[in-house]
Amino acid sequence: MVEFTLPKKSRVKKGKSWPSPEGKRLKEFKIYRWSPDDYKNPQVDTYSVDLDKCGPMVLDAIIKIKNEQDPTLTFRRSCREGICGSCAMNIDGTNTLACTKAIDEIKGAVKIYPLPHMPVVKDLVPDLTHFYAQHRSIEPWLKTETPEPEREWLQSPEDRELLDGLYECVLCACCSTSCPSYWWNGDRYLGPAILQQAYRWLIDSRDEATGERLDNLEDPFRLYRCHTILNCTKACPKDLNPARSIAQVKKMLVERQV
Amino acid sequence: MSLRTPLNDAKNHGSAHSGTMHFWFQRVTGIASVPLTLFLIILGIYLTGQSNEGIMATLKNPFVALGLIATVIVFAWHMKLGMQVIIEDYVHGKWAKYAGLLANIGFSVFIALVGIFSILKISFGA
Amino acid sequence: MLAPKPESNNETVKIMSIHSERPLSPHLMIYKPMLTMMISMMHRITGAILYFGALFLVWWLAAAAAGPEYFSLVHGYLTSWLGLLVLFGFTWALIHHLIGGLKHFLWDTGAGFERPMLEILAIFSALSSPALAVVVWAIAYLVR
Repeated sequence: MVEFTLPKKSRVKKGKSWPSPEGKRLKEFKIYRWSPDDYKNPQVDTYSVDLDKCGPMVLDAIIKIKNEQDPTLTFRRSCREGICGSCAMNIDGTNTLACTKAIDEIKGAVKIYPLPHMPVVKDLVPDLTHFYAQHRSIEPWLKTETPEPEREWLQSPEDRELLDGLYECVLCACCSTSCPSYWWNGDRYLGPAILQQAYRWLIDSRDEATGERLDNLEDPFRLYRCHTILNCTKACPKDLNPARSIAQVKKMLVERQV
Repeated sequence: MSLRTPLNDAKNHGSAHSGTMHFWFQRVTGIASVPLTLFLIILGIYLTGQSNEGIMATLKNPFVALGLIATVIVFAWHMKLGMQVIIEDYVHGKWAKYAGLLANIGFSVFIALVGIFSILKISFGA
Repeated sequence: MLAPKPESNNETVKIMSIHSERPLSPHLMIYKPMLTMMISMMHRITGAILYFGALFLVWWLAAAAAGPEYFSLVHGYLTSWLGLLVLFGFTWALIHHLIGGLKHFLWDTGAGFERPMLEILAIFSALSSPALAVVVWAIAYLVR
């Protein structure tokens, strides 16, 4: 049976409150902490940040905490402008990028957890190994049999337009780890991010492996665990629509057979 | 501990190359369920407050009987497909899963058989 | 073919050996309950209710087939206040599942995925099914 609760060693305990700095506009941040070195359960620590001395985004605040209060706080970040997908985490109950989520949007304390239902490497860093392997498994590159042209493969502007809303995905995993179906069956279900990329290659007019790709997706677990719960589309920090992409894949499979 | 590579885990035993027909028939039985549900609701409204004799007379009407048989068949089929997905989603223990899948088929067939037999008996028997 | 080079497995082996000690991050318990997710859950729950509700329908039909005595007994149960309450619940579940199904047909065509539309559909599902269930029962008692 699927475990709807956390395993004993994963249960989150009460953590400590770090000394609050001076300031007029203090905001509380409650952040999930776990380190492999401590041999302890995860805990939620509370930090305070003076918003008058902090940038507007959640990422600004956790960088400030790391610089000024607790250098052991661990998270991924890189571009700080929503293009690398590194700082994906669960903020205020939904998955999003810390760098594009404004602190102002959040009422009360800012609760930050790692992406849901993932093995935790440390603090806010989830292990994305399986997610990346699933991406690799759909062979996300152009596959052709026609001899390669001397110059580039040609594509009409209309066909190129079909890729809009798909190629922009930064593989941050916000959508996949927001999906209950991915929580319960992520070992076999590909999840919204990967299925959307699969669709991106299915409808690429230059790709000659469409049938083979559909063959590989047609599976009760790989594809059909999608029940249109829609958490993916609601979570996507790039405003893409994985739920619609998956619906299109299902449609292609029906049209191929019926 | 497993030393399998992540890609090996992700690819697992490959694709089953199936599932589209499950999806399709879930929709087919779903579409059929729309008019049949309306039929069932209208029948319920019609039977409300009738005497037992009146109800029996209505159930003996061939059109009502045919509608009910269609409803029982389509609902049982749709139920089987739906509960199968729920079991696959949540029940991961091998024994429990196959026991559940078999019980689901048994229950759905039971509903269909008892339903159809009862309607036929009302129409032709006693 | 632009296939990436397969990566070395050494790092993987290292990662996997400590994998089992890693905690699982919180999920259902911390995720913000969203209307669309709740309505999806309701579709499944009403489906399960109707699954077992089919027993009542078939029981009632079997009673009708068994003869007038047993039928009036079972019919008496179903028209007691508790029976009527249960039947009202099934009416609501049936209508909720019906409307959820219609919504799925829309999505199956690839339409109805615009963000504002998703909210409209969710709110419509939540409100229409109890309202329609009341309407059905009101009609039943008015025309009887």
